[in-house]
Amino acid sequence: MKRFLLAFLLATPIVVVHAESEDPWLVLKKAAQAAHDLSYAGVFIYQSGENVKSVQITHTNSGQGEYARVVVLDGTPREMLSQGSDVVIFSPKNEKVIMEKRRAHNLFPAVLPVDIEHLKASYQARIGGTERVAGRDGRVVFLDPRDSLRYAYKFWADREYGLLLKSLMLNEQKQMLEKMAFSQVNMLEDQGMDWFHPNVDHSKHYILEEANAQPAQESSGWTVGALPAGYRKVEQVTRLVPGKTAPVTQVIFTDGLASVSLFIEPLSKGIRPKIGQTSKGATNFYANVSKGHQILVVGEVPAATVAQIGSAVSFSSK
Amino acid sequence: MKSQISALMDGDVALEDAEYLYTTLKSGGETTQAWADYHLIGDAMRGNPVFNPDFTERLMASLDQEPILLVPAVKRKQALLKNSKLWSVAASVSAVAFVGWVVLQQQVQNGIDDDATPMEIAQSLPADYWLAHQSQASNNSAYYIQPANYSE
Repeated sequence: MKRFLLAFLLATPIVVVHAESEDPWLVLKKAAQAAHDLSYAGVFIYQSGENVKSVQITHTNSGQGEYARVVVLDGTPREMLSQGSDVVIFSPKNEKVIMEKRRAHNLFPAVLPVDIEHLKASYQARIGGTERVAGRDGRVVFLDPRDSLRYAYKFWADREYGLLLKSLMLNEQKQMLEKMAFSQVNMLEDQGMDWFHPNVDHSKHYILEEANAQPAQESSGWTVGALPAGYRKVEQVTRLVPGKTAPVTQVIFTDGLASVSLFIEPLSKGIRPKIGQTSKGATNFYANVSKGHQILVVGEVPAATVAQIGSAVSFSSK
Repeated sequence: MKSQISALMDGDVALEDAEYLYTTLKSGGETTQAWADYHLIGDAMRGNPVFNPDFTERLMASLDQEPILLVPAVKRKQALLKNSKLWSVAASVSAVAFVGWVVLQQQVQNGIDDDATPMEIAQSLPADYWLAHQSQASNNSAYYIQPANYSE
C-alpha cells in the first residue's frame, strides 16, 4: 500500500502537468476578450529597439462600454483617452498640445484580434510553461509563423484572469523586436469615472487636428495582384502626406496581427522617386517606380513581405 | 545666421520664434549656400560620400584662416571642448539636419536637384509615410507610445 501511495505521489505531478496542458488558442482567445471585458489599471513597459517607455493604463468596462486612459510616463507626456472605438491622442508640441481623433488601435494588452480564427492560417500556437510577470503567474503561449512572411510572438496570459501580462515580437533569429510587459497590474472593482480626463496644461493651446485620411473608393488604373499568404486588404484611404501636394492612396493589409501599408501616388515633377529596400527596427520599407507611379510599402513585417506586396501592384494599360 | 541656428540648437531661441530661420533659409542666396555647405558636412558625417568638387577647397580655405594653435595636445583638446566656435559648427550641423528637410523639399521642388534620378530609400527614411502607416494601421501600439516622428 505504501509503495502504491509513493508511486501515486510520484506520478501525481506528471498527471497534473498533463491536465494543465491547455489549448493555446483558447488561452489567446480568452486573453483577447479579457483585455476588452475586464477593468484593470497598471504600468507597462514598451520597448522597441533602443527605445524604452513606461506607460500607465487604466481600462474599465462596467457593461456600458470600454473606457481607457493611457499615459506615456517617460519623455514627451503623450496621453490617449478612448471611449469605445473613439480615441483622442494628446501630444504636446512646443507650446501647443495637438489633439488627434482616431479610431481604436489594438493597444496593449488588447493586441490580439477578438476574432482569433483569422490567425490560424498563418500561425501555429503552442503552449509553454508558467512564468511570473508583474507579480502574477502567466501562461506562456508561443505563436510561430507558418512561413517567413511574418514575425513570431510569445505571449504571457494571466492564469487567473486571462489578461495578457507580456507580449514579445521576435524575428527569425529569435531576436526581440518589440516588447510590452506589465510591471504592475491590478484588477479594478468600483472605480467611478473620476480618472477619465486628460491632464490639462492651462498654459498651452489645445489644437484639434483634423483627420487627414478619407475612406477611398476602389482605385482605377492599378490593382494589387497575389498578396503574400495570409494577408488580406482591410482598408483603403486617400490621405495627405506632409510635403506632398496631391493626396496619396494608402491601402492597409493585415494577417490579423501584423499590418502593412501600401502607398501609391503619381510621380510628381521635382520630387525624386525612391527605390530600394531598407529597415529600421521591426519596420521594413520597400520602394519602387512603375508606370509613372511611386510605390512605397511600410510594415512591421519581414523584408520579403513588403517586397512581395510592392511587386504585386500592376497598372492596367490605358 | 550661423549663430542663430546655433542658438536655436542650444535652446536660447524657442522653436516657435525660429520660423524666420526657415523663411531665410528658403529665400536663397548666401544663406542657402551656407546651408548647402552644412548639408554636405552632415552627409559626410553620416558617411554619404556626396562632396561637391569645390567643397574640399572651400573647407581647406576656411581652415587656413583659422589661427594655428601652439599648445600641448591635451590642452588643445580641452580648448577645443571650450571652443565655442567648434560647438557652434557642430550645433549648426545638427540644427540644419533638423530644419534641413524643409529647405530640401523647397530646393527639390525648385528643380535644383536632378529630379529624374531615383534615390535609394535607405538614404532618407520616409518618416512621413511611416507615421501615416502607424496612424492608420490598427495593430500598432507604437503610434501612441513612440511614433515615427518622435523617434529621432
